Amino acid sequence: MAEKIRRHARAGIALIAVIGMAALTTACLSGGEEDDGTLKMVVWGGDLEKETYQERIDLLEAEHPDIKVDLQLIPSEQYEQKVQTMIAGGDGPDIMQVAEGVNVYSSKSQILPLDEYVSEAGLDLEERFGPAVGELYSYEDQVYAIPDRSGAIITYYNKDIFDAAGVEYPTAEWTWEDAQSAMEKTTSPEDGQWGYTGAGWWAQWWSFVYQNGGQIVGDDGKPAVNSPEAVEAVQWANDLVHENHYAPTAAEYADMGPDMGGDPLFASGAVALNTTGFWGIGTLQEADFNWGIAPLWGGDQQAATGFGSGLSISRDSANPDKAFEAIDFLTDVEGQEVIIDKAMDVPANIQVQQSEAFLKPEWAPEGLNMGAFAESSDFIYQAPFIPQWNEMQSTINDGLETFWSEGGDAQTELDEIQSQLETVVE
Amino acid sequence: MSSNIVGDALGAARSARRTGRRRTKLSRRGKKEAFYFWLFISPWLIGFVGFLLGPMIASVYISLTEWDSFTEPQFVGLANYTQALTEDPIFWKVLGNTFFYALISVPLSLVIGVWLANLLNKRVRGRKIFRTLIYLPTLVPLVATAMVFKMILAPSGPLNDLLGWFGIQGPQWLLDPNWIKPALIVLSMWGAGAATVLLLSAMNGIPRELYEAAEIDGASSWRQFWAVTFPQITPIIFFNLIMGLIGAFQIFSQVYILAPGGNVGGPDNASQMMVTLLFDQAFSFYHFGYASAIAWLLFVIIMLFTLIAFRTARKWVFYESEVR
Repeated sequence: MAEKIRRHARAGIALIAVIGMAALTTACLSGGEEDDGTLKMVVWGGDLEKETYQERIDLLEAEHPDIKVDLQLIPSEQYEQKVQTMIAGGDGPDIMQVAEGVNVYSSKSQILPLDEYVSEAGLDLEERFGPAVGELYSYEDQVYAIPDRSGAIITYYNKDIFDAAGVEYPTAEWTWEDAQSAMEKTTSPEDGQWGYTGAGWWAQWWSFVYQNGGQIVGDDGKPAVNSPEAVEAVQWANDLVHENHYAPTAAEYADMGPDMGGDPLFASGAVALNTTGFWGIGTLQEADFNWGIAPLWGGDQQAATGFGSGLSISRDSANPDKAFEAIDFLTDVEGQEVIIDKAMDVPANIQVQQSEAFLKPEWAPEGLNMGAFAESSDFIYQAPFIPQWNEMQSTINDGLETFWSEGGDAQTELDEIQSQLETVVE
Repeated sequence: MSSNIVGDALGAARSARRTGRRRTKLSRRGKKEAFYFWLFISPWLIGFVGFLLGPMIASVYISLTEWDSFTEPQFVGLANYTQALTEDPIFWKVLGNTFFYALISVPLSLVIGVWLANLLNKRVRGRKIFRTLIYLPTLVPLVATAMVFKMILAPSGPLNDLLGWFGIQGPQWLLDPNWIKPALIVLSMWGAGAATVLLLSAMNGIPRELYEAAEIDGASSWRQFWAVTFPQITPIIFFNLIMGLIGAFQIFSQVYILAPGGNVGGPDNASQMMVTLLFDQAFSFYHFGYASAIAWLLFVIIMLFTLIAFRTARKWVFYESEVR
């Protein structure tokens, strides 16, 4: 009997194995099915992104009948994990959207260097995207992604508040002093009116560090967050909140509601100045006050964080040539205009940024200075897209959180972070 | 319970083997039964082997390597473990955070659970409504709860207003490194209703005559609670203790949702817990080997505490049917 049970056990195990094999084979088959030349493209975002990318792909497929693209949209917060799983499983997409984390993949040869494809296609990156953005996604002198979206951080201002205070509207020529004096004149605590929304987000204070001649990671690849220039910029940004109280503190923001931050507060009409990306326009469509945009002010030099993303080709792509052909089209004028027509983002293509379609979009309020984006393109500094980007951000955020919410001495905080970063950034 | 079933089954098998002849007679049925046993258990078995046991064994190996999930893993021996225990600047802090949370929130929610269950066991008007209300928070999705708590714990929020009536200046809770962990503990109390329901049903199961006897002996209600109620519900308290400990050491979602600005570490890493650290290391920093090592260290810790709980259980957990 024991023998029989054992035999049954074996049969059972065999059954399990068969079921398991069946599951595996179907998985393999369904994986293999896609090999009819259809390109798999992954991007992040929501409904608006899905609609925009799909429309661009429709244009591509109409123009290049031999190319078929299967678009997969992944919610932003899951994007990195999903793509990581795909690549680790040997089923990486043909075309994938990358941003600050690009060199996680390039440093480990998970995406293809594109220089050869670029020169074969006769593509001039600097001409198409401008000198600051063209080779933004490079690692060890090789290009790994073609810029697709690229809007700099810009200044949003509440015209009503500025007019009432009799202050000139912001321009790219503003210095820190000009910005500070405008904040001073527009802050009015008794009316619940603030001069600024604050600069505790990396994209904001990094801009000031680079304006001041500082860097987050130096040209030698070593962290440089406690340089005198960086310390001065960070202290200035923090003092705007805690010394001068032009902007609400973290505690005051927390009191306004669970999802309150600079952008919604500006959209409520209670602040004179906000510094954020293109998406700020979307939150202001229904604003009941007059507002405008301008390039970010400057310090010793102009510098603004770029919010962009590029398109890359994974090592698993069976058709890298076709994939590049698709990317070439998507980043050319025709493929890029949809991005602005849909009011989704700033197209990376400089020619589009300077076109009528971009400067006077249907949806924009009368007289909105859309040229601010093209003007800012030249100010975008080369941010350190190191392979350890996430770890660096996490170290900085954890270390500075109390500093931003309660104020303090920038030198002490940045010295501490510098020593931690030295262990993170090799 | 479950150990009893296993014991019976083993006993049955043993006696069956001794009476060999009877078993051959039953062999047809036995065969069929065994077949169905394997058939019906196979979905679970496949799931267990494929999705739990396999990955667990793999993670032992991964914890001995340096692996970014893209390129080939490099064998590094115990380096990940020594890195966690001796080099990582935040590992011990994170471990401390996790202990702080587990060792306060678990006993506290048990005390509150027993207290609530005892109240709900009293014959008062509207008892059923109260019972429903106590359990209701457990049914609210965690994300919704966390959003509400963000408002309640705001620096000038309702909780601090309440404290203000008693002349207490409330802390900034989620923004303050010293208060973010107590804030998480306050949030965990919100779910005390789940334990309450179990404890309440245990209390209902206590024979009336025990109380009657105690009353005749002149026991006060306090004395009745300690001498009758409490010993009778210790098995349920024990169950809640074990489950609570395991759950508390693995705290993740609450931190992920509550931490200000989506920065899981919180101010000065004050709210970084073992599992959130593990998650960041694996899926954000691409250190799978290190993350696996953290997972196994956490496993050992949970195992240790569970063992301690089981060892001491003999001294305070009372099973009525048990003969010592």
